Amino acid sequence: MTVDHQQTDHDVIKHGHRHEGPYKHVVAFIFSIVLTLIAFAAVAAGGVNTTFTVIILLVMAVLQVLVQLGYWMHMKDKGHFIPILFLVGGFFVAFTCVVMALSWVWW
Amino acid sequence: MAHAHSVKHHKGLMDWLTTVDHKKIAILYLVAGGLFFGIGGIEAMLIRIQLWKPLNNFVSAQTFNELITMHGTTMIFLGVMPIIFALMNAVLPLQLGARDVAFPFLNALGFWTFFFGGLLLNLSWIMGGAPDAGWTAYTPLASKAFSPTHGVDFYTIGIQIAGLGTLIGGINFLATVITMRAPGMSFMRMPMFTWASFITSAIILFAFPAITVGLVLLSFDRLLGANFFEVAAGGNPILWQHIFWIFGHPEVYILILPAFGIISDVIPTFARKRLFGYSSMVFATILIAFLGFMVWAHHMFTIGMGPVANALFSISTMLIAVPTGIKIFNWLFTMWGGQIRFTTANLFASAFVPTFVMGGVTGVMLASAPADYQFHDTYFVVAHFHYVIVGGLVLGLFSGLFYWWPKMFGRLLNETLGKWTFWTFVIGFQLTFFIQHFLGLMGMQRRIFTYLPNQDFDTMNLVSTIGALLMAVGVIIFFVNIVITMSKPKGVANDPWEDGRTLEWTIPSPPPEYNFKQIPLVRGLDAYWKEKQAGNTEMTPSEPVGSIHMPSASILPFVMSVGLFIAGLGFMFSRDEFSNSFLAGIFNNYVVVIIGLLITFICMLLRSVFDDHGWHIEPEELEEEGVKA
Amino acid sequence: MSSAHVDHTHGTLPHEPEKATHEGRNKILGFWLFLGGESVLFGTLFATFLALRNQTNEGPTAHELFNMGMTAAATFILLTSSLTSVFAIQAMHRHKLKQLVAWLGITVVLGLGFLGLEIYEFAEYVHKEHFGMTTSAFSSSFYTLVGFHGAHVLFGILWISLLIAQLFKKGLTVVTAPKIYVSAIYWHFIDVVWVFIFTVVYLLGKVG
Repeated sequence: MTVDHQQTDHDVIKHGHRHEGPYKHVVAFIFSIVLTLIAFAAVAAGGVNTTFTVIILLVMAVLQVLVQLGYWMHMKDKGHFIPILFLVGGFFVAFTCVVMALSWVWW
Repeated sequence: MAHAHSVKHHKGLMDWLTTVDHKKIAILYLVAGGLFFGIGGIEAMLIRIQLWKPLNNFVSAQTFNELITMHGTTMIFLGVMPIIFALMNAVLPLQLGARDVAFPFLNALGFWTFFFGGLLLNLSWIMGGAPDAGWTAYTPLASKAFSPTHGVDFYTIGIQIAGLGTLIGGINFLATVITMRAPGMSFMRMPMFTWASFITSAIILFAFPAITVGLVLLSFDRLLGANFFEVAAGGNPILWQHIFWIFGHPEVYILILPAFGIISDVIPTFARKRLFGYSSMVFATILIAFLGFMVWAHHMFTIGMGPVANALFSISTMLIAVPTGIKIFNWLFTMWGGQIRFTTANLFASAFVPTFVMGGVTGVMLASAPADYQFHDTYFVVAHFHYVIVGGLVLGLFSGLFYWWPKMFGRLLNETLGKWTFWTFVIGFQLTFFIQHFLGLMGMQRRIFTYLPNQDFDTMNLVSTIGALLMAVGVIIFFVNIVITMSKPKGVANDPWEDGRTLEWTIPSPPPEYNFKQIPLVRGLDAYWKEKQAGNTEMTPSEPVGSIHMPSASILPFVMSVGLFIAGLGFMFSRDEFSNSFLAGIFNNYVVVIIGLLITFICMLLRSVFDDHGWHIEPEELEEEGVKA
Repeated sequence: MSSAHVDHTHGTLPHEPEKATHEGRNKILGFWLFLGGESVLFGTLFATFLALRNQTNEGPTAHELFNMGMTAAATFILLTSSLTSVFAIQAMHRHKLKQLVAWLGITVVLGLGFLGLEIYEFAEYVHKEHFGMTTSAFSSSFYTLVGFHGAHVLFGILWISLLIAQLFKKGLTVVTAPKIYVSAIYWHFIDVVWVFIFTVVYLLGKVG
């Protein structure tokens, strides 16, 4: 197989990935577990204002997704402009669909 | 790698079934798209023959419904989109200065899934009735209760499979543009056709998954007894309309943007002038694509969403006129003061501009929600979308085909016959559809299979039918032109129009398998024109002559698509009652579905397990070919 | 397609072997594009679910149906599998084949656990609660959305298993590395979708 170096190896050196330990990811993991627990707890607690609970749930979900995308799918790393562009595009159209479902299906 | 010389080359039919060469896939798309275009055209003729006089009984009401449904579906999904893909495949890698597309294997897979999806859809004619609920398949008309035959199942599953092929093709072109550009070919130096193809592919990527879901929901309703659109069980047919148009409106930009791209390449070539306002063209294309996702509900003004939603979608729709207007003026300013040559390609391109403007103007009229209550579901709408799709896209495709035919096949199409095609087709088109605006304003509904006499519809319908026949004559002349041209020997120059501006004109016609012996160095917009201005006859290479790596041919894309085809048929008939117990056994227990999917998944497994090392063309072979040429 | 040909198959691998070849980088990019499309696919499914979530046709409602304990278990299993899949990629970057295979194996096992829970949950609903595909518009949209996600998990399990087999046969090379990387991205994406499912379908369903 043919390999071209120009791009990758330089990136690595500049970026200093070589000895990246599991530490960062364990922290991200704990963070997302905590977010999940808050979400489940908010529902289990019940009784509180429904709108408030809904907002909490959505905020927790968005934070979780950011952890997944940024850390675990490496989107915060360099050279991810195109992936971000197209994923944001997809999310945008998906969001449009959700707005449609909530606004213009029943009246 | 040295072992590459032992690679097996297929010949004849096997070569076409296994090819991963984008230029051959282009020809496959063109042939298949042309075939389906012919079928859709025959359906259109039958529609117009039925409507030529009042109370005609040339076809039954049921057959008429099948004809209009299949005419729309076939033309859009199986006729013009594959021809667009044919041009993209033939030209886009060449314009980028690339030896290949990013994913040659996927490219072949995209073609074959499209082809088998189209085949499945058209099999409906001989397997118990074609779809009959309109190309939009609105529920409840498309539900099991009102469309009890398998027609709509052929629609959902056929388009599902064909759509998968389109999505694969879109991803391939996106990746090709992002990663395969020649040195110096920055985004803002890409020819407009490449830009348009890139944006179109992005729209495909974001729009097709929506219809995938829509079709899944509809087929689950029909085949598994789900309740998405079943009002009695809590479903809502409006949801189908929304999902369909969230896909459907971007779809019309998938159709028209490539035509914009073609025109933007043809007009500067034959005006011997650089495209006016290149960056505004790019910007307008992106803006149209973006706005295209914001306007879907203008197809649904009359369902009662209320004044706020209607006003919102009215405004967003009218906004699209702005970037489109920018494009129209840019084309006019490109022609202004140019040394224009009216070849057939340029005639089609020039006719595109006013015709498309007319379609755009009626579009703005339809965008006004209160007025739309009058226009809705009348022939005014039929006239409008034929002005943009035929008067826009089809004229653009003819222009592109005449323009790039020498590059694809090494022969120039006959210009005299081409001009006959142009005049018969364009005059026929205006006759057919201009008058339909008035039919619509006078109250003739679309999709009706006949009408009563003495409502002032009679003469206008007759005129419309005569125009349609004239269009058919134009298309037949085009086919004759192809046959005559293909019987002549190859041998046009690299740059047969002599004023070629972009990279595809720097290499032989048709190009060798590897496209560019040496990848060119791009030094500006209209790379080839720039070199010509500098007094050079060819591009500066960006690399020494070396060994060229090529992907291996493979039969797997074909077999995978056959698997999907089998699975689709199996799913469609899974709830039927069979008198034959063997058939009942394999269909009702999903055995056929499982076999079909297994074929597809085993092919995927084989593709993953056996690495494709490809093969190499060595410099000595390049020299030999050079001598031959 | 570059002229600088270096054979890495038997020599030392670069730090990020998945990005060492043009083919590998294309594969990763193409997969990201595909995920853009997948977002719209799931977005439309979510939209369908949200539109029909209260259309229970006198069948079970979300509030009556969902069991928070099981959803929480499934969520933690899938979250953990995301972490193990990250560890697999880190092992790959350190060229530790055995660790890589082990982490991938654990990911697959966790995926199987998740899928088992989901199948058990569906079976419960169908048999005990009489909540099937045809019960109501809510049930149809629930099974289609969650079922599509489940099918993605199943595909991921089969895919990663196949890659483990390839790692045994071919080892870690510039050909196998992009495949592993892409499957990991896919696995995280499934997790992202699940985050929305447990929030929107289960938790918001419970809240009402």
